Amino acid sequence: MNSKEEREAQILEEIGSKFDVEGKIQREHRIWISIDNKDLIKLCGWLKNQRFEHLSAISVTDWVKEGKFEVTYHLWSYKDKILLTLKTEIDRKKPVIESVTSIWEENAQIHERELHELFGVKFKGNPDLSPLFLEDWHAPPPFRKDFDWRKYVREEYYDKENEREVAYYD
Amino acid sequence: MVKRSKKAKTMRKLIKAIWIFNWFNSCGFCELVPLVGSRWDMERFGMIIVGTPRQADVLFIAGYQTLKSIKRAKKVYEQMAEPRVVIALGSCTMTGGMYWDSYNTIKRLDNYLPVTIYIPGCPPRPEAVFEACDKIFKHVKELE
Repeated sequence: MNSKEEREAQILEEIGSKFDVEGKIQREHRIWISIDNKDLIKLCGWLKNQRFEHLSAISVTDWVKEGKFEVTYHLWSYKDKILLTLKTEIDRKKPVIESVTSIWEENAQIHERELHELFGVKFKGNPDLSPLFLEDWHAPPPFRKDFDWRKYVREEYYDKENEREVAYYD
Repeated sequence: MVKRSKKAKTMRKLIKAIWIFNWFNSCGFCELVPLVGSRWDMERFGMIIVGTPRQADVLFIAGYQTLKSIKRAKKVYEQMAEPRVVIALGSCTMTGGMYWDSYNTIKRLDNYLPVTIYIPGCPPRPEAVFEACDKIFKHVKELE
């Protein structure tokens, strides 16, 4: 192991001793860990008090074949300059997860609101999950892999009879 | 001597310069920036950008319009005093442009707002914008 990555290894070990996580050092300044979604809140609270006080982003990946949503939290430590990528999986049919607004407050709130709109993931405990960009949206959440947006656009916006727009149907 | 209607007479008195209100999404303002700068300098024709839609004669609308932003654009349009002109600037505004298959971008602007003049291009040339503005003057002068 590179001597530069000692700090990363130390942190990973520390997390591993307290929680049931799988983790690896991706490269210098980067750690990836994954955890069961039951322990997520506990781990996040602990991480914030330790050194990862900044939540950079939350993202969702849609794994259609596995029937899972993978929720990823990107945490940054100003002290150690380490980006921790925290992953957890939830069931695609019942996309409910505990909100981290109790830990990162407004910072987490806006990310969760966007993800609720784009993926339909419900964040339990988030006070405001109203639509952010998609006002008056009635179709399924657009970022889901099984949502055929091109078909939706053709039905919603274009007219096959219109000779200027027939090219969109090829 | 040509006999003109009262409205046309008033209009001819009023129209010396056009005041603009901008409604720009995404890259929209980049399309008008050359006109504001010293090379094409639209202010020599009296075209200035005003702070509120209530003072504006022309609404410049540019950049792709989403379902959310077009609602606000409608509100801006409703606040403008008559006579009002809407100029659609650039291809994204008019047809969605490169966002032709986006689920959230509007595809026909005239379904939402009464567009007076379309200026195609990505971005439109400053000369084209000036020509469009010139047509507004002509349009007013032709009012009978």
